[in-house]
Amino acid sequence: MENSLEITDSTDWLGTPLQLLAPLESSLRCQVCKDFFDTPMITSCSHSFCSLCIRRCLTADNKCPICREGDQVLKLRRNWAVQELLDTFKTARPAVMELARKFKALKEQEENQVPEPQPKKRKANQIEQSQEVSSVEASPPRLRTRSRSVKAVPQEPEVIPEIIEDSEGEEEYIPDDGMAVCPVCDRTMKIEAVSHHIDKCLVEQEAREATERQKHTAFGVLQRQQNSPSKQLDRLPTLNYDLMNPSQLRKKFKELGIPTEGAKDLMKRRHTEWVNLWNANCDSQNPKSRMQLLRELRVWEDTQGGGSVMTVPDRNTVTSKGFDAAGWSANHNDDFKRLIASARKKTDAQVRSTIPGSSGSDQSPSTSPNGLPGKVAEDLGDR
Amino acid sequence: MAQSVAQKRLFHEYKNLSTNPPEGITAGPVSEDDMFYWEALIEGPGGTPFEGGVFAAELKFPKDYPLSPPTMKFVGGGVWHPNVYPNGTVCISILHPPGDDPNHYEHASERWSPIQSVEKILISVMSMLAEPNDESPANVEAAKMWRERRSEYEQKVRDEVRKGLGL
Repeated sequence: MENSLEITDSTDWLGTPLQLLAPLESSLRCQVCKDFFDTPMITSCSHSFCSLCIRRCLTADNKCPICREGDQVLKLRRNWAVQELLDTFKTARPAVMELARKFKALKEQEENQVPEPQPKKRKANQIEQSQEVSSVEASPPRLRTRSRSVKAVPQEPEVIPEIIEDSEGEEEYIPDDGMAVCPVCDRTMKIEAVSHHIDKCLVEQEAREATERQKHTAFGVLQRQQNSPSKQLDRLPTLNYDLMNPSQLRKKFKELGIPTEGAKDLMKRRHTEWVNLWNANCDSQNPKSRMQLLRELRVWEDTQGGGSVMTVPDRNTVTSKGFDAAGWSANHNDDFKRLIASARKKTDAQVRSTIPGSSGSDQSPSTSPNGLPGKVAEDLGDR
Repeated sequence: MAQSVAQKRLFHEYKNLSTNPPEGITAGPVSEDDMFYWEALIEGPGGTPFEGGVFAAELKFPKDYPLSPPTMKFVGGGVWHPNVYPNGTVCISILHPPGDDPNHYEHASERWSPIQSVEKILISVMSMLAEPNDESPANVEAAKMWRERRSEYEQKVRDEVRKGLGL
C-alpha cells in the first residue's frame, strides 16, 4: 500500500542536518492520532489534542489521556496559538524537508568521493552554514532555487538573482545600457526579453501573492475569530440514551439525517460518533460540509460500526484455538438435526395457530417467523 | 478504501518504528493489507536469564484502537515467566484498559491510555522480562519458582531460551 509512504512523521528529520526539528515536529502532533493537530483543543489540565481525538477519548473515558485527570467535553477550549504555529510549520515543512534531504544527499555524495570541483566546495560550505542556522533561516536557499528557474528565461543571468530579493525601492535606478524594467516585477532586463518575460512574470506574481496570502493566515485567523460568532454552527447536545427507547432514538436520528438501522447499542455508538464529528467540525476554522461529515460517519460505520462484522469475534473469543469445529459438528450432527426439526415443528405450529387458514406451505406469511430458524438450519447443515 | 482512525494511527506507529526503532525491538504488520495484526520480535534484555534470546509475539489491535489496547501473545512458546500465561498471552498493566482492574492492584497511571503506543508496550514488556511483577502471576508455577527457587527459575529460562534458538 502506498499509504505508508505518504505519512509524514517527526522521524523524517532524523539523519538530516536538521534533526533538531524532530522534537519540534512531534510537539506539534496530537499524541492520540500521531498526526498534526487538527483543530487543537486544550483541556482543563492544559493538554492539547485534536478536537475530534479528545472528544472521542472523553466520551469513552471522561479522562485526559495524558494525565488521566477527569475532564468534560464542555470544558474544552480552542488553542489558537498552537493552530497558528502549526499552520506556519506545515507551510514551511515541505521546502525545509527538501532542503534537509538535499544536504544529506550531498553530504553522502561528498563522503563517497574525493571533493574535486570548485562549485561543489561552495555547496559544502553552505551545508555547514545551515547546519547551524535554524529552520526559519533555511528559506534563503529556497529563494535561490526559485531564481534559478527564472534563469531559464532567455535574459541576463547574473542580474536577476542579485535584484530578486530587494527589488522593491529600486525603481528609480534605470541604467541606460539597453535595458528595460518589467512593469510587473520591476526587474531589469534586455529590451528584447521584456515581452517574453512579462507573460511568465504575471504567472509568477500570482503564485507569489498566493503564498503571501498563506503567510498571513495568522492574521486571517484573527479575522475569522472575530467573524466566527455570527455564523458559528450550533453544537449538538448529547442524549440520555437510557431514557429513550429505540423508536424515539430512530425519530431523533431521522431529524439529524443519520442512518437509523441497527440495534440500540449500535445506534448509541453511532450517535456518539456523529456528535463528536459534528462538534469537532464546529470547532474547526474551516468547517466541512454536512455531506463530508456524513461520509466520515460512513467510514466509521464500515470500520467500527455495523459494517464491521469483525469486531465481536475478533477479541474475547470463547472457543479456544485448538477447538476442532469439524469433529464437533460431526459428533453432534444428530443433535443438531433433531433440534432443527423440533424448531421447525414449533414455528410451523405457531404460524398455523396465528394465521388461521394458512398452511405451513404458504411462503409469504411464514417468512418472518420461519426466516431465522431456516437460515440457522442451512448454516448448520453446511458444517 | 477509506482508512479508519485506527489504521491511520497504526501506519504512523509503523513508520515511526521502522525509521527509529528502539534497541532490541522490531515490530510491524504481518501484511500491510491488515494493519490490525502485527508481529514483533523482542531481544531478551541483557543481564537477565533471557539474554541472548529472541522472542516472537503477535499483537492484535481492536477496531477502536487507540481507545482500547491491543492484546499481545508470545508465539512459539518458551517464555517461562510469572506474567506470561502458559499459552503465551502477556499480562501487563499497560495492556489493560483503565476502566477495569480485575486484579485490584494496578495503578491507573500504569494502564492503557490512547497516548500509549506499540513502542511503549514492547519496551514495558522488555522490562517486565527483566523484572517480573510478583503481584499478579499469570503463570502461577513460574511465579512460585521465581519466588522460592530463583536459581532453578533462571536455569529453566536459560534452557528455554537455548531451546528457542535451536541449540
